[in-house]
Amino acid sequence: MTEVKMKLNGETRSASVPPETTLLKMLRESFNLTGAKLGCDVGDCGACTVLVDGMSVNACLMLANQVDGREVLTIEGLATVEYLHPVQEAFETFASLQCGFCGPGVIMSAKALLDENPDPTIPEIRDALSGNLCRCTGYTKMIEAIQDAARILRAKEHA
Amino acid sequence: MRGFKVVEARDANHAVALLAELAPSVKVLAGGTDLLVDFKHAPHAPEVVLDITRAEDLKGVSMTDAGLRIGALATHTDIMRSPLVRESLPALVDAAHTIGAVQTRNLGTLGGNLVTCVPSMDSGPTLVALEARVTVAGPGGRRELPLTEFFVGPRKTVLKPDELLVDIIIPKKNVGKPTDFLKFGLRKGQALALVNVASSLWVDPKKTFVEPRIALGAVAPTVIRAPEAEAYLEGKKITPEAMSEAGRIAAGEARPISDFRASAQYRRDLIAVLTRRTLENACARVQDVRPGGSK
Repeated sequence: MTEVKMKLNGETRSASVPPETTLLKMLRESFNLTGAKLGCDVGDCGACTVLVDGMSVNACLMLANQVDGREVLTIEGLATVEYLHPVQEAFETFASLQCGFCGPGVIMSAKALLDENPDPTIPEIRDALSGNLCRCTGYTKMIEAIQDAARILRAKEHA
Repeated sequence: MRGFKVVEARDANHAVALLAELAPSVKVLAGGTDLLVDFKHAPHAPEVVLDITRAEDLKGVSMTDAGLRIGALATHTDIMRSPLVRESLPALVDAAHTIGAVQTRNLGTLGGNLVTCVPSMDSGPTLVALEARVTVAGPGGRRELPLTEFFVGPRKTVLKPDELLVDIIIPKKNVGKPTDFLKFGLRKGQALALVNVASSLWVDPKKTFVEPRIALGAVAPTVIRAPEAEAYLEGKKITPEAMSEAGRIAAGEARPISDFRASAQYRRDLIAVLTRRTLENACARVQDVRPGGSK
């Protein structure tokens, strides 16, 4: 077994897992964080997207042990009890999701984009979402929501 | 995934020592974007996985006496964000940008892309057009060889089970060389190249080609140079006709296959067009480069 200790959604957490355990499996099964989804399991669909040290990654393509000593942020760490993250709020306002399976991954990709680029163009947003497959929506309303969230976050920054 | 043991390397020398001890029943884990996918589908898992992701000396991009050194563990995102690369060899940024998607570029490494050695690798052509060299470490020490000699065939390199790719070096004489990379895939994101091409060149005051280098991907068992097209261009006046002719020659030098993505003939047509365009784009970049960079 491997001991993994990390900062998970702001709290120090640890787990003991077999060495071949992926980060995704540990999140879902050791911590019951089921927001990141098991989709393709080969890094194509992006449903398992989480942030490790602020960078978006496919949780299905990392071993749990690789996040030892690092910071992991999942969709569950984005909202507080009172407030949704502006990206989540915008996805609700614009009805950006239908079935919702891809949603946590898409929103984490959007969060990583906006952390780095507060005013992305539409091509930049499309590029940032190219690792997240959605078979319901056609992405249009996601892009509108991300633009709106970017506006709100920029306004907050200046306030 | 089937069970395996994981050992972690502190640095490159530690990794080489562990490889000597564990080879051949060991697999090296870098970005994991290919390796973990293979494990999920393979009937047998390896006994031991050597995780090198914490070996800091295998990361980073720096300028050395030999040239631009890119650590084998530099991710595609590291390359895209490196001020050194962006300034001196923007074609490497373009090539890195065409790989996978953000999440896979954040994990996947340059060394991993070369070691996996699929013919359509997007890192290969630009490096080959810049005559990159690689450093390999093993029980007998380190050796350096041209990248073209590192590639052996589809998914096969010269690396022995107890050897490790350490870094990739673009020789000093080619740092700043005008270069362009183009990839043609069936989608913009997450698509394998049907063909990818890179061209590098200097231009002398008489407006003729100096040291043109053309590299083709996905059209032979490994990334290849197009020596006949290069020889045709050397010393020739820069004209649209010369660049088109070089494209036609390059198309004849490749050995593309037909598969479910495209026919061999379509790939040949793509080589001709992409070669011409990369030459045109590289010429257009000449003004961006400081004078005196050429010999």
